[in-house]
Amino acid sequence: MNGRLAGLSAWVCYGVTGLTCIFIALPLAVLVAMSFSDTDYIVFPPQGFTVRWYAGVLQDPEFLHPLAYSAVLALGATIGALAFGTPAAFAVARYRFPGREVARSLLLSPLIVPVLVTGIAMLRLFTAMRSTDAGLQLLIAHIVITLPYVVRTVTVSLELADVSLEEAARTLGASRWRTFRRITVPQIAPGLAAGALFGFIISFDNYPISMWLADSRHMPLPITLYNFIARMFDPSLAAISTLMILLAAVLVIVMEKMMGLRKAIGI
Amino acid sequence: MTIATAVSSHSPSRRAAPAWLARPGVIAGLLLAPAILFLAIFFVLPVVNMIGFSFLTQNQQGIAVGPPSLANYVRFFEVDLYARVMRTTIEVAILTTLLASLLGYPIALVMVRGNLVVMRIVTALVLAPLLLNVVIRTYGWKVVLANGANGLVNQALMGLGLIEDPVKLLFTPIAIVIGSLHVFLPLMVLPLAAALSKIDPAVEDAARTLGASGWRTFWRVTLPLSVPGLAAGTTLVFSLTASSFVTPAILGGNIAKMLGTLVQEQILGISEWPFGAAIATVMVTIVLVINLAYVGLIEGRMGRRSRPA
Repeated sequence: MNGRLAGLSAWVCYGVTGLTCIFIALPLAVLVAMSFSDTDYIVFPPQGFTVRWYAGVLQDPEFLHPLAYSAVLALGATIGALAFGTPAAFAVARYRFPGREVARSLLLSPLIVPVLVTGIAMLRLFTAMRSTDAGLQLLIAHIVITLPYVVRTVTVSLELADVSLEEAARTLGASRWRTFRRITVPQIAPGLAAGALFGFIISFDNYPISMWLADSRHMPLPITLYNFIARMFDPSLAAISTLMILLAAVLVIVMEKMMGLRKAIGI
Repeated sequence: MTIATAVSSHSPSRRAAPAWLARPGVIAGLLLAPAILFLAIFFVLPVVNMIGFSFLTQNQQGIAVGPPSLANYVRFFEVDLYARVMRTTIEVAILTTLLASLLGYPIALVMVRGNLVVMRIVTALVLAPLLLNVVIRTYGWKVVLANGANGLVNQALMGLGLIEDPVKLLFTPIAIVIGSLHVFLPLMVLPLAAALSKIDPAVEDAARTLGASGWRTFWRVTLPLSVPGLAAGTTLVFSLTASSFVTPAILGGNIAKMLGTLVQEQILGISEWPFGAAIATVMVTIVLVINLAYVGLIEGRMGRRSRPA
């Protein structure tokens, strides 16, 4: 690739980018610094050095239970979205039939409606159904919001996969299912993995849909963290934040290794 | 060519399915049915039902009753308190989108055309926050912007002698703009970078060779060619900011309210379901309008391109 940045415009671009990177890192760096502060309240600059806040939160069931719950919920939502989304993506990518564009739009439609509003609509539905199973409600809601991401990622990888290999397998007498399992799946495996990863993150980090449906026994982590802000004034929350920042950093490295960050975002 | 065309030439498999079942349309329908049914029951119908609910009114017993009317909408747009929330929402969303696009271009240019090492670092730094929970990111800003002498920004400003006493930063629309910019900037940068990476550098080189200045080249060549990316980023950032909850709730509090916080308060706080549904419908409308404008813009451009020159 040529057309590199040069001259004055390069300086402007690098300058703005550098300042923005500081802007992005600043609140996160502050939380990391706070998490080691040996004071019973958040104070800047942090004073002393201690890891007792980490020792505390890593034994605190009020943090660990929602963490585990969110992981299980995100896993369930991802599996559900893959189960619904993969066949649907296959139909949209491989078949020509009337209403195909409508089906595609419908599959992606949860992206258009604000998640907050989807949550309100689902709370109304579940109230009208007199359902009290918050666990099931959360699972259904999280499948709805992760489904479009899975469909989109899997559709793209199906469109990139080589159709002539599938046609060859079919011509040689392989059944549709065998062709799918032995030819299509290996080709779209990276797409499935990427879709699963996106789906998991979308569900794991979701706040605005869980807000309506969570109860005290089914409390996803983001809801817990939000409640902590209102009542936790010592650096415990900064310690939790630092752990979450570490997790995000690990995810960036995983995505880079798995598919290359730049490829994953299409540049 | 698709499987559908190959199907006719291939011999019947061992377990021959009934002929009608093997028709491509039927197979596609069966593959789609679970997902479509699931979305219809748990997404489309509830949203439609909620919009319908916004035309009812709540009686003394807290039960929503007809006849359908626009009463909730009239109340929303006529009561000053709510109209102000609407104004704050639009202003915050516009300002956030504007700042995101101003910062987005230089960053996207660095990501696409910068020094190779810098490109990778910037990509990771821009992307990483997307993987971090929005509650944590916003909490960070709450600490940084804290009112009073404990806030980091206040300390810095006082240390520099720019202000005497701490200024009020938290619980203002500006705080929400800062937080939203932090949360949604990547969603402007990514489509911009994708659009910029598709521009053939030769086109810009040609403009430069013909004597255009760097600025003029950007303004007349690069910018117009990147409009699809800019439009996609604008649509995303505007609709997500206008419909967000976490950022205005933490950084705006009860003082600087947006539609998201208002709707939560109406429904979870005081169980005003029909009015809450009306606010939610206003939110959907704002987002739909901006999305339709985007689709219109993209199709307009494609229409112009396909016309013979």
